[in-house]
Amino acid sequence: MKIFWLPAAISILFLLPSQGAALAPPPAFSFLSGTDAGPIMLAQAGKTEGRAEGKAAAEPEGEYGNVTEDEVSKASVPEVRIADPLEKWNRFWFTFNDRLYFWVLKPVSGGYKRGVPEGLRVIFNNFYRNVASPIRILNNLLQLKMKDTGGELLRLAVNSTVGVAGFRDCAAECFGIRMHEEDFGLTLGFYHVGQGFYLVWPILGPSTARDSVGLLGDFAADPIFWLPWEYSIPLKTHDKVNYVSFHIGDYEALKNSAIDPYVAVRSAYIQNRAAALKK
Amino acid sequence: MKAVALSPVISRVIAFSAAIALSFAPLPALCQQDATATVQAHVDSVLKMLGNPALKGPKGEERKRAEVRAEADKLFDFVELSKRTLGLSWNRFGIDQRKEFVALYKQLLENTYMDRLMTYAGEKMTFSRPTPLDTNTVEVKSELQVKTGPVALVFRLINQDGQWKVYDVVIEGVSLIANYRSQFREILVNRDPAALLDTLRKTVGKGPK
Repeated sequence: MKIFWLPAAISILFLLPSQGAALAPPPAFSFLSGTDAGPIMLAQAGKTEGRAEGKAAAEPEGEYGNVTEDEVSKASVPEVRIADPLEKWNRFWFTFNDRLYFWVLKPVSGGYKRGVPEGLRVIFNNFYRNVASPIRILNNLLQLKMKDTGGELLRLAVNSTVGVAGFRDCAAECFGIRMHEEDFGLTLGFYHVGQGFYLVWPILGPSTARDSVGLLGDFAADPIFWLPWEYSIPLKTHDKVNYVSFHIGDYEALKNSAIDPYVAVRSAYIQNRAAALKK
Repeated sequence: MKAVALSPVISRVIAFSAAIALSFAPLPALCQQDATATVQAHVDSVLKMLGNPALKGPKGEERKRAEVRAEADKLFDFVELSKRTLGLSWNRFGIDQRKEFVALYKQLLENTYMDRLMTYAGEKMTFSRPTPLDTNTVEVKSELQVKTGPVALVFRLINQDGQWKVYDVVIEGVSLIANYRSQFREILVNRDPAALLDTLRKTVGKGPK
């Protein structure tokens, strides 16, 4: 039953503007991502207001009976919500990214998947994750997570040597040192910078005001970004295609299971980031 | 003689203290342990069945789908899941509407994720001990190993008359019911339950069978 829900999760990961997902920096739109927005986080709005329209049915049957306010407030996990003042703009780019996926990314990744054996694709994936180590090392350090910083340093050392230039994730496979994902958006959150508002970028996907600022930091800490663009753009594109080749069908599942895919992705992004911040 | 006279007292004391001891410490722990066992048992049986090489072709797949559906019915409490998704809005639905909502919601989840389940390729899954959330709910953390790294899955279960049933699944921090709540809310703010059911019917209708 469990992997029932897995695709949704992975599609979220795919949609995250993590270092792996980034294709290019968003220079033209950076005016939108500033801190000028201020933190407008609508946290903890877990309680749904309900009018008792169903009261007419006085004594309903068993488990289908009314719920009480008490039950609901006890049951509802504090809900993470986000302001979305630019919803029209965001929906436009959401649709754009959706088409980009179905018209370009999916067919390309599908062909790539058929042409490249899985073992090789795993190697590429390990390689790109290893190259992005500075992002994780720096942000673990900035968040004073010394153990994880050490772990990431050790991973970089082990995987770049024993793991042959990062082709193999020997740190995890041989020594059980796991990856500790962190980025600059989470570091800002760690220092109590609020999410701001929701923002969807072309190509990069869902983000927030805070995470967009964080993205700039992630680009700066990403070695690939410092290569000449003739190298960095093909490499980033390959990373993305390679990653998506493992996750074809995930975004489709999330989309098909949604009443409103835009809201589903927004909720998933915000929840995922809130959970990552708590780690 | 004396010893004989004492023995029923002693045994009563022993029985009594045993009862006391049991009723405090070990029992809740035992119950919660059951939560992990419940999830694990259903998940394992689904995974084993999905990995069964004998179930091939369209006929085998039909069997698989039927069995997944049966296991899902045993593992999930779709009514609880629906109530917790809707919160107080649940009360705005009439009884028949509630029943239809539960059925459609379940159908929606099944339609979408069944195809994904069919692509299961032997990924490993591990479970940890349950942690209590409140008096009758616990969460069971688990991890699925996929090629690009581990995926964190959390099952939230409620004790319904001694049986553990799943009412929420949290993947990488994303709660299923919270995700749907945010979508349903947008509809229910301006419109009535009938409109929500209409939308649900349409979404279920166009999904894969």
